Amino acid sequence: MLVAVTVAMLASGARAQTSNPFTGNAAGVDEGRSLYNDTCTRCHGANGAAGEFGPGLAIPGRSYARNTDAEIFTAIKQGIPGTVMPAHQGKLSDEQIWKITAYVKGLRGTAIDAPAPGDVVHGEAVFWGKGQCGTCHMIHGRGGIVGPDLSNLAGLRKTNSIIDALTREQHRVYGPGGAQPHTLTPLPTYPVVRVTTADGVTVRGVLRNEDSFSMQILGLDEKLHLVDRSRLKNVVYEPRSLMPTDYDKRLSKDEFGDLVAFLTRLGEPPPPSQPPVRMPGKDPD
Amino acid sequence: MRLQSVFLSGLLLTGAPAAAQTPDPASADPGDWLTYSGQYHSQRHSLLKEINTANVHTLQARWVYHMTGQKDLEATPIVANGVMYISQYNRIDAIDAATGNVIWQFQRQPIATGAQRGTGFWNNKLFVTTSDKHLVALDARNGSVLWDVAVEGGLQLVGQAPLIVKGKVIVSGNQPHGFIQAYDAETGKHLWSWSPIPADDDPALASWGGQKPDGMPIWVSGSYDPELNLIYYGTGQPEPQWAGEGRKGDNLYSDCIVALDADTGKLRWWYQNTPHDTHDYDSLEMPVLVDAPWKGKPRKLLMQANRNGYFYILDRTNGEFLQATPFVSKIDWTRGIDAKGHATPDPAHDPSVQGTTTCPSTAGATNWPSPTYDPQLKMFYVVAQEGCGVNLRDTARNYAGTGYLESPEPGKSWQLYTRALDAFTGRKVWDYEQVTSHHYGPGLMSTAGGIVFSPEEFGQFTALDSKTGKVLWHFNTGDVITASPVSYSVNGRQYVAIISSSNVFAFGLPDDRKKP
Repeated sequence: MLVAVTVAMLASGARAQTSNPFTGNAAGVDEGRSLYNDTCTRCHGANGAAGEFGPGLAIPGRSYARNTDAEIFTAIKQGIPGTVMPAHQGKLSDEQIWKITAYVKGLRGTAIDAPAPGDVVHGEAVFWGKGQCGTCHMIHGRGGIVGPDLSNLAGLRKTNSIIDALTREQHRVYGPGGAQPHTLTPLPTYPVVRVTTADGVTVRGVLRNEDSFSMQILGLDEKLHLVDRSRLKNVVYEPRSLMPTDYDKRLSKDEFGDLVAFLTRLGEPPPPSQPPVRMPGKDPD
Repeated sequence: MRLQSVFLSGLLLTGAPAAAQTPDPASADPGDWLTYSGQYHSQRHSLLKEINTANVHTLQARWVYHMTGQKDLEATPIVANGVMYISQYNRIDAIDAATGNVIWQFQRQPIATGAQRGTGFWNNKLFVTTSDKHLVALDARNGSVLWDVAVEGGLQLVGQAPLIVKGKVIVSGNQPHGFIQAYDAETGKHLWSWSPIPADDDPALASWGGQKPDGMPIWVSGSYDPELNLIYYGTGQPEPQWAGEGRKGDNLYSDCIVALDADTGKLRWWYQNTPHDTHDYDSLEMPVLVDAPWKGKPRKLLMQANRNGYFYILDRTNGEFLQATPFVSKIDWTRGIDAKGHATPDPAHDPSVQGTTTCPSTAGATNWPSPTYDPQLKMFYVVAQEGCGVNLRDTARNYAGTGYLESPEPGKSWQLYTRALDAFTGRKVWDYEQVTSHHYGPGLMSTAGGIVFSPEEFGQFTALDSKTGKVLWHFNTGDVITASPVSYSVNGRQYVAIISSSNVFAFGLPDDRKKP
């Protein structure tokens, strides 16, 4: 029915088409991937990670200036004034641009868009119980603080990425390819460090930031340790994450599946971008 | 007090060289920073030494200027006659280089962001590349438009800082393929264009295996030798970027250092760093011109630390290859470089569907951030990036695209170092690890005060001892730095400036005159 409506819209030559005729169309999305690889990766990089000249189009957790299919379609077709993003009108057909749009949108989806099946209530019990996940992770104010807060896990990560984190040693989230960072942030990963001060005090924890002169460590004692490197006797970067990666073995198949069902429902899809809000105040206008 | 300082500045101005009102990049007044690399030879070595190893630990921020509406600025500030010019596409802000107070702003619509790396100063004029394929000249005194011309051929100029030589504005671009153009600085008249695409009668055309030559973007400024009247530029990678099977051969003039006659734009010589490139090793890293003895004989040399991992020394009169030494720990894209300087790529490292690990990574052993050369110590300082990358491709078509990923070795992402090389042997003298900095990084500047100023990607601005690499001073600018530092002087006071995202910081020694 939806397909019929879309086809009818295309046939009627609707001027400002806003819905993407290739949404959910596997062959179209795959062709979009191929077109993206031919046209877009040089600037934007592969798989939605950022490239050499352009921003990443599908980096989990980032917000986008263009969210709807129509906005993405227009940016590809007409370019973006004031930037080096060129217009592709004449080089690509509208149909091809819609396919690329469908591919880009697909890259952006996270676990919450298609949660894994399973017993969610049981999965939550595994999280707080046998899985001991709450020792390090917090959800809506409950749990430990040393690991990442998981309240919006499924809104940020893909299902495969969540399963990898539970099962694959040295799992890591790939960074933004060759792009330079645009803002200063805490470390995107949680490397484990052990430092010893000149007084002989040892602190072990996860590194939240560092530079050549200082370190900011969230200790396993759940305290922040703000350290001047020049006062340290010893710094050890431990090679392994604190995150266990054998949950598919330490849990039964049902327990694991239910845990994934629970985790892939944590959070909400990212809200559409909105213009900045001016709050009432005493500023003279 | 005010009278006294006005008198003092007037005194110093009259005491300065006669060219002070219209400084020329060919003259060596260290108080100005007139072109992207400071001077035509691109050594980025300031002769100022009020700030030196003995007092740099007292360096303090003298002022900060915020360029509204901007972010991620990559511009090198230009300083002439005590005024600093900060640029972006369509935009220049002129500020008092001693106080940070803005004097005028030029904004052509629309407001643009992007990798724009500076303006150029010539005869009281500044030159602006626009986002709508124009080149504009401004009066440096008030920002008025003196001329505004459409770019020849309807092409888009890149953010390369214009290089002004002999009254010619040299600009460049990437699309539809690399090009360099020259315009008359007084009138805006187009004078010549050059492209790395070989002409129909050029034997270099045979180096493309029958495929039409394509790509070779030119997106960083170059250097100039007034005596030889040659400009030196790097060219970028061939197209298709990751798929080489359709373009068998060396693919000239991709990934080359080229020498062009400044008057005519004619190619005088070329040297190709990376033949038949499938890893995006653009040769856009700054060519640094050095006059020094080579094996006992005085020579005009050109030095370049290339993205492909080698540090090159050429004879810049004729392009003769003299030496190439690795400056990063692992290079495997080539089987080696022969005595004439020709590198043979290793096809085992071509990009593949499953991903091919290649060293250095596509981001390069170094990239556009500027190196610096200290002529006293004969040391070459470069931002070196250690690490390999994975090159992926889709084999469906010759033009099939791909991208590249971070270092595939878990827990070993790329790492930036400020690296000191003996300029004549290429041997590493010292390393400074830029903790948390992994991509490209900002550029460097050395000074006669014995300091290498080394900004770090994650906001630290650090002063290193030129001889040892020891940290002498540092300051957290609070934002990402993707620009190169400069030094200048006003009224005899030395300043060091760096742009951090949208803020310009100027540092100087404490002002003792204000002490009670």
